[in-house]
Amino acid sequence: MRRASVVRVLVIASVVTAMLTGCGAETTEDGSSGPTGEPLVIGAVLSVTGAQSGLGQPEKQAIEMEVARINEAGGINGRPLEVLIEDDGSDVDKATAATTKLVEQDRVLAVIGSTGTSQSMAMRAEIVAAGIPQVSLGSGTAITSEFDPLVFQTTWTAKLVVPLMLQYLEDEGYTKVGLITEDTGFGKDGKALVNELASEYGMTVVSDQVFKAADTDMTGQLTVIKGAGAEVVLMYSSVSASAIVPKNMRQLNMDIPLVCSHGNAKQEFVDGAGEAGEGVITFAGKVLAPETYGADTEQYKVATGFVERYTAEYGVAPDHYAGHAYDGLYLVVEAMKRLPEGFTSADLRDEIEKTTDLPGIGGVFTFSKTDHNGMTEDDIVMYRIEDGAWVLAE
Amino acid sequence: MENAELLQLAIAGLKNGSIYALLALGFTIVYAATNVINFAQGEFFMLGGMFAVFAFKTLGLPLIAAVPLAVVAVTGVGVLFEVLAIRPRRDGDQMSLVIITVGGSLVLSSLARHLFGSDALPLPEFTPGPSLAFAGAAIERQTLWIWGLVLIAVVALTMLYSRTRLGRAMRACMQNREAARLMGIDTGRVVMISFALAAMLGALAGVAVTPLTSTRFDIGAGIAVKGFAAAILGGLGNPIAAVAGGLLLGLIEQAVIPFSSTLKDVVAIVVLLSVLFVRPQGLFIRERKEKT
Repeated sequence: MRRASVVRVLVIASVVTAMLTGCGAETTEDGSSGPTGEPLVIGAVLSVTGAQSGLGQPEKQAIEMEVARINEAGGINGRPLEVLIEDDGSDVDKATAATTKLVEQDRVLAVIGSTGTSQSMAMRAEIVAAGIPQVSLGSGTAITSEFDPLVFQTTWTAKLVVPLMLQYLEDEGYTKVGLITEDTGFGKDGKALVNELASEYGMTVVSDQVFKAADTDMTGQLTVIKGAGAEVVLMYSSVSASAIVPKNMRQLNMDIPLVCSHGNAKQEFVDGAGEAGEGVITFAGKVLAPETYGADTEQYKVATGFVERYTAEYGVAPDHYAGHAYDGLYLVVEAMKRLPEGFTSADLRDEIEKTTDLPGIGGVFTFSKTDHNGMTEDDIVMYRIEDGAWVLAE
Repeated sequence: MENAELLQLAIAGLKNGSIYALLALGFTIVYAATNVINFAQGEFFMLGGMFAVFAFKTLGLPLIAAVPLAVVAVTGVGVLFEVLAIRPRRDGDQMSLVIITVGGSLVLSSLARHLFGSDALPLPEFTPGPSLAFAGAAIERQTLWIWGLVLIAVVALTMLYSRTRLGRAMRACMQNREAARLMGIDTGRVVMISFALAAMLGALAGVAVTPLTSTRFDIGAGIAVKGFAAAILGGLGNPIAAVAGGLLLGLIEQAVIPFSSTLKDVVAIVVLLSVLFVRPQGLFIRERKEKT
């Protein structure tokens, strides 16, 4: 084959790949036994496949399970709830395309998602053009700090988590931190904030490394971190590849601790890291240890009920991603319940904004005209991997 | 930067480079036999890891059985792929064959998703234990396995090409398929064996690297790009050039990291494009006059 045709082949092949990997919608059961009447239709854009599938999968499962439960209990004011779940494959373009489809074809009242920060931000133009509320499950600070009245968020942002991580490092007496982040919206968010705040906690970032979601080896980055004399490695990431970092650290005989963000507080990370994961620390929500909610709180009841149902349905306990999806769904559902028949997307947005003291899995939600996140550092606790599971750390 | 660090980066580069080399070999072998870039090459890599995890976890086989079984099974997939997808269109133009391989890659990854789920799946190391110290740097045991497997693959391929009748037939096809066919070589068989070899090498890379990285149904495309880049860098159609290209690509990537890990992939692509502009035939292949 001549050179020109090699190039031609490549171009055509990549176009075809891009076209063929489009996403298909999956509908949750619309509870034919319970409520009657026209269903209330909302959309959900989730990263069910791709680099963030470890997050999107539990989110999808949580929504499917809860929608069935809501419909069995009579739906929303007598009308069944239907959630159209679209997979964005952890890709910003597919997230945008999925949103367009939900808005133009399915005429949804609101959109939950996406899983990731980059996807959530990419969807915004469609959301704003359609004038419907979006409840993002992504954790990037930008999602609510680049404020839009239509956009809500169910997750703790870097602004909340990074100070907790740095405070812990300061308390432990570390001063030289090696930073490793992933090349996504989520990772960049953490990277920027750690670099900005490190000095306030007496910390120097001695090496600032990045890896890609598709990377299979981080020994290079870690070698540089090791060479720079880091006393602790701080990781801000969420993709599957994160689990390679503790493995590579062990391979390089780096016996310094690894502290990661809430993006890694899931079983996928523990399984992927194997023995090398023992002792790794993360900061995340209380759902992994429901007793931390406080035994007689409303939140404890909500969370333990959810944990029980989810465990019975799927055979594994839910992580905080499942919790974010639960929260996103109920923020919309509870607002719908409060509204009279025949409400519009604009009414729904206004009603979501009025949410006050709604007990959820990730926190107790109170929104205002200027705060569409509403989480506090009290919603986060510290975990450590012990014997292949995340356990509460002192 | 100290010497030990440089050495450590070089080790990482040669480790990743060996994986790229195995994939590049797969590209190059199929290209030599068919003049077609096989975009399903990355899926053989993915399936290698998947099958090994399946045999080890689900069937409960010991690693020593699961790993060879996975490689054999993927080799079978390669043969099936040729028979079912490529052979019916063998006399079609190259473009349609390439599109078939793209479609095949999507089919294989979708199948893997349905069979094995969309989570990342881990596999234990072949020989667990602490890394070996070498001049201040650490070499993990799995890396030694990777190097060993690459070495065996290259030696075996060289023997195949130089010592056997089949190898001579494959080399003849490489030089001129039409002429080879006129000389009585069964080119159909050569094509099938090329796909089998490519699948086997891809699977070998996949099982060797899965203990370090875990595997997932959609990792094939990403690694295929690296393998393809390595094959182009070295020069398509020549096994030794493919290996050299793979190792070089791995080393270049690591060399960029101390300056900026963000730019790692960018620099690799820039190097690749420069090579395509300056030496379109690849770095390690002498320019050959086109036969007319």
